[in-house]
Amino acid sequence: MDSKVPLLSRRTFLTSAAILVTTTASVVHGRTFHQGMPWAPGAADPPAQVRPGPWAFFTSDEAATMEAIVDRLIPPDDGGPGGKDAGCAVFIDRQLAGPYGRSDGLYTLPPFMPGSSTQGYQNPDSPGGRYRAGLKALADHIRQSQSGKTLRELSTVDQDKLLSTLEDGSIKLKDIDAKAFFAMLLQDTQQGFFADPIYGGNRDMAGWKLVGFPGARYDYRDWVERHNERYPLPPVSIMGRTDWVSKG
Amino acid sequence: MYRSLTFAVTSFAFIACAHAQGATQDFSCIERGHYLTTLSDCAGCHTTAGGKPFAGGVALQTPFGTLIAPNITPDTDTGIGNWSDDEFVSALQDGRGRNGTRLYPAMPYTAYTKMSRDDILAIRAYLNTVTPVHNRVNANQLPFPFNIRLAMMVWNWLNFTPGRFVADPHQSAEWNRGAYLVQGPGHCGACHTPKTALGGDKTGAPLTGATLQGWFAPNITANKHNGIGRWSKDDLVHYLKTGANNDTLASGPMAEAVTHSTSQMKDADVAAIATYLLGTGQGGTDRPTPIAADNPTMKVGAEIYKDACAPCHQDNGQGSAQLFPRLAGTAVVQSDDPTTLGRVVLEGSRAVATNSAPTAPAMPAFDWRLDNDQVAAVLTYIRNSWGNAAPAVSAATVAKQRTSLAQSR
Ligand code: HEC
Ligand code: HEC
Ligand code: HEC
Repeated sequence: MDSKVPLLSRRTFLTSAAILVTTTASVVHGRTFHQGMPWAPGAADPPAQVRPGPWAFFTSDEAATMEAIVDRLIPPDDGGPGGKDAGCAVFIDRQLAGPYGRSDGLYTLPPFMPGSSTQGYQNPDSPGGRYRAGLKALADHIRQSQSGKTLRELSTVDQDKLLSTLEDGSIKLKDIDAKAFFAMLLQDTQQGFFADPIYGGNRDMAGWKLVGFPGARYDYRDWVERHNERYPLPPVSIMGRTDWVSKG
Repeated sequence: MYRSLTFAVTSFAFIACAHAQGATQDFSCIERGHYLTTLSDCAGCHTTAGGKPFAGGVALQTPFGTLIAPNITPDTDTGIGNWSDDEFVSALQDGRGRNGTRLYPAMPYTAYTKMSRDDILAIRAYLNTVTPVHNRVNANQLPFPFNIRLAMMVWNWLNFTPGRFVADPHQSAEWNRGAYLVQGPGHCGACHTPKTALGGDKTGAPLTGATLQGWFAPNITANKHNGIGRWSKDDLVHYLKTGANNDTLASGPMAEAVTHSTSQMKDADVAAIATYLLGTGQGGTDRPTPIAADNPTMKVGAEIYKDACAPCHQDNGQGSAQLFPRLAGTAVVQSDDPTTLGRVVLEGSRAVATNSAPTAPAMPAFDWRLDNDQVAAVLTYIRNSWGNAAPAVSAATVAKQRTSLAQSR
């Protein structure tokens, strides 16, 4: 088990919180809202829009590997762009550079015990750390087994083979659970393909166009009863769509 | 017996408040003064939100700078406890402060001058009953040269004619009551009458709309294009009583006027205001030609409207009664001055909540989602669709407003 002694265990936290409640109960008053919820002008709190630009988390080698991987997980075809052109690697890069990548707001102190499948990841490493370690182990493995090559130098057939061995866990990476690493790659790539373009992936709403998802609209009252009919409006992202811009 | 009872009721209504200073503790006089104070919305400026009643401190943005409404509680040191009745009456009727100093017209004496001495003394009698509060206010925060009170002499000379309300014998008693309330205590013109470069009322065009504090107070004459000529008397009464009707919801400065004043008026008084406003001459419909739907800006505006606005205001601009204002055929949308439109779309807006319309729905801010060209396009679109017609809004106008709103937050 971890030898670090946590400053405040869950139990002591609970008891100290209880003391806090009892000692302050007499002075703390609930706020009463009259006439509806508080509201302030211009107080929208939108997500920051991801702009194209240098990588925020990945090194250029890592980024090249990631772009090759996402383009094999979602290969380009007649239906539209693949993971690379749809911006999935950019999406993952910006996520890892932000609070998600650092596990901000998650409880990451011991004890660490194996959880059930519904309990999610149970170890201390943040997603950022797991990508860094996973990509390094993968790169080392390829260099040793493929005479010094990197993943993007392999043929797409070989890349697919390699990813399959990650998926079924038959590849052995040093200190890395290959299956779990693959599951994370796949899930994050899918999210990059279908999340709102404001986060850097799903470029031009490619993912949404593919599956016919109408995007950030929020009034379907006219459509609730109309089954098996194609919804006519094009998808719209949080930041709009190309028709919102004058071509003049 | 019945007869003497009615007599008592009428005399209650007309009880004179000859000497507000000192002696008059007459309950009915004080009650009448209380109601007149509500009609005049003195609290709207002289009471801060959550502050002690009439203790002053509300900062008013005027085109010339900031003025702070003073303490008018009966405190003898920092309020108006030592003022004589004549001094008080002169403040409201002539715009004169103590010792004859000239008050800035942010205090709407240009309207209160229509009130009778008796009504003003009733207000005084009521103010004498509020708790005196020690709170020194320095009203004058104006930059040079507007901080020179003497300059007001020139201003008053140009812009201000003191004088009581004169009833029009050709009109009904109800119409005249409405005229008195609108022109006098209600001081509706303080916001709704266009101003000259010097900030005085443009007397030729009363109530035809004006900009203030980053809002546009629309034309409230019976003009059918950009006024309220399409409203029935009921529509108008409902708006003033509850802050909402099937067309629109009150927000910004009008939300305050509704909360403090019009929603608390007697039904007969609100009806009188409606009779007067809808019965005043200006029924014209000087409607410009709408911009064509195939204009490139209109096309972009239509796309934005469909995606971002139609969920609430509907494709046909009809909105949803009491919840989402109608955009088709309304004064707010078709006014020449698009100030309210730009502001509402950029920073959102929350409608007033009154006891009879407590929902207070809010319009979300779009400043983060639409750039200046896009705001201009969608506004140009709503001003020229569904039978609406009004000049296009330029991106430069939106850009200016974006900056000034950001500074005011
Ligand atoms: C639109 C805002 C507004 C409203 C409404 C308003 N006032 Fe004022 N009032 C002011 C301002 C601002 C001043 C300061 C003017 C100055 O110093 O030149 C002032 C000054 C005064 C003064 C002079 C006080 C002094 O110390 O010099 C009196 C008295 C007064 N108001 C009474 C009233 C009464 C009574 C009402 C209601 C009938 C009323 N006001 C409504 C804004 C307002
Ligand atoms: C403090 C400034 C102010 C005062 C005083 C004021 N108004 Fe308004 N009024 C406004 C503003 C600003 C609007 C626009 C509000 C909006 O867009 O929701 C407005 C809107 C209105 C409307 C709705 C117009 C429309 O087409 O939607 C009516 C009717 C109205 N006012 C009547 C009155 C009457 C009657 C009075 C006097 C009793 C009055 N107002 C006093 C500022 C004021
Ligand atoms: C979530 C629902 C919603 C959406 C989306 C919405 N609005 Fe509104 N809108 C409102 C509500 C509620 C009000 C009333 C707010 C008030 O009175 O302060 C309002 C008020 C307005 C007004 C003022 C009308 C009046 O009579 O005072 C205009 C103009 C307007 N909206 C335009 C737009 C435009 C343009 C868009 C799209 C860019 C839009 N709205 C999107 C809910 C919405």
